[in-house]
Amino acid sequence: MEMALLYIAGALMMGLGAVGAAVGIGILGGKFLEGAARQPELIPLLRTQFFIVMGLVDAVPMIGVGLGLYVLFAVA
Amino acid sequence: MRNEHQKLGVHARIALQQFKKIFLIQVVSLVVIAGVSLLHSPTAAWSSLFGGVIFLLPAYVYARRVLHARNAKSSPGAVVRQLYSSEIWKMGISIALFSAVFILIQPLNPFSLFGTYIWLQLVGFVAQLKLNNRFLKL
Repeated sequence: MEMALLYIAGALMMGLGAVGAAVGIGILGGKFLEGAARQPELIPLLRTQFFIVMGLVDAVPMIGVGLGLYVLFAVA
Repeated sequence: MRNEHQKLGVHARIALQQFKKIFLIQVVSLVVIAGVSLLHSPTAAWSSLFGGVIFLLPAYVYARRVLHARNAKSSPGAVVRQLYSSEIWKMGISIALFSAVFILIQPLNPFSLFGTYIWLQLVGFVAQLKLNNRFLKL
């Protein structure tokens, strides 16, 4: 029973982290496409901003994924 | 190396310079954290080193793939495709490194590992916001 709960906890951590990252990165990509369609000459600038913000968006979900993997591999 | 940088666009070159500064700050703070952890125990020291490597290696691969890409002026779809594939590589490398460390390294201090990982993320956030004034004008 305890093992099952640990697996569920790890799966929830990774799954919810993935949902958050997917929503954030999806919105980011959509806004980039919107901006690029409005002003195509700004694509190089928007591209570097996209790079920076994507690095910020995926940070917190990766902590969740790391904790989930710790629960799955080291605790369970 | 200089020729390679000259081929980049001006925005990519600025972003690459900022990334190098932030990366250097993160490496220095990783060394300091590992040194301080060594005073506590060797296990804490190598756990913090592994936490730092798990953070820094995928970030380096991601930045290298994105900023050295040759499609800076191509269509928006190609840019999004390239950035998303780089992000998938970053996540894949992070997951592989986390799994390898948790499976292969047995005496491990998780507080030290995750503490260093989260600390480097915070250092990256703050340094990025300090270096890039564009975000402060929002």
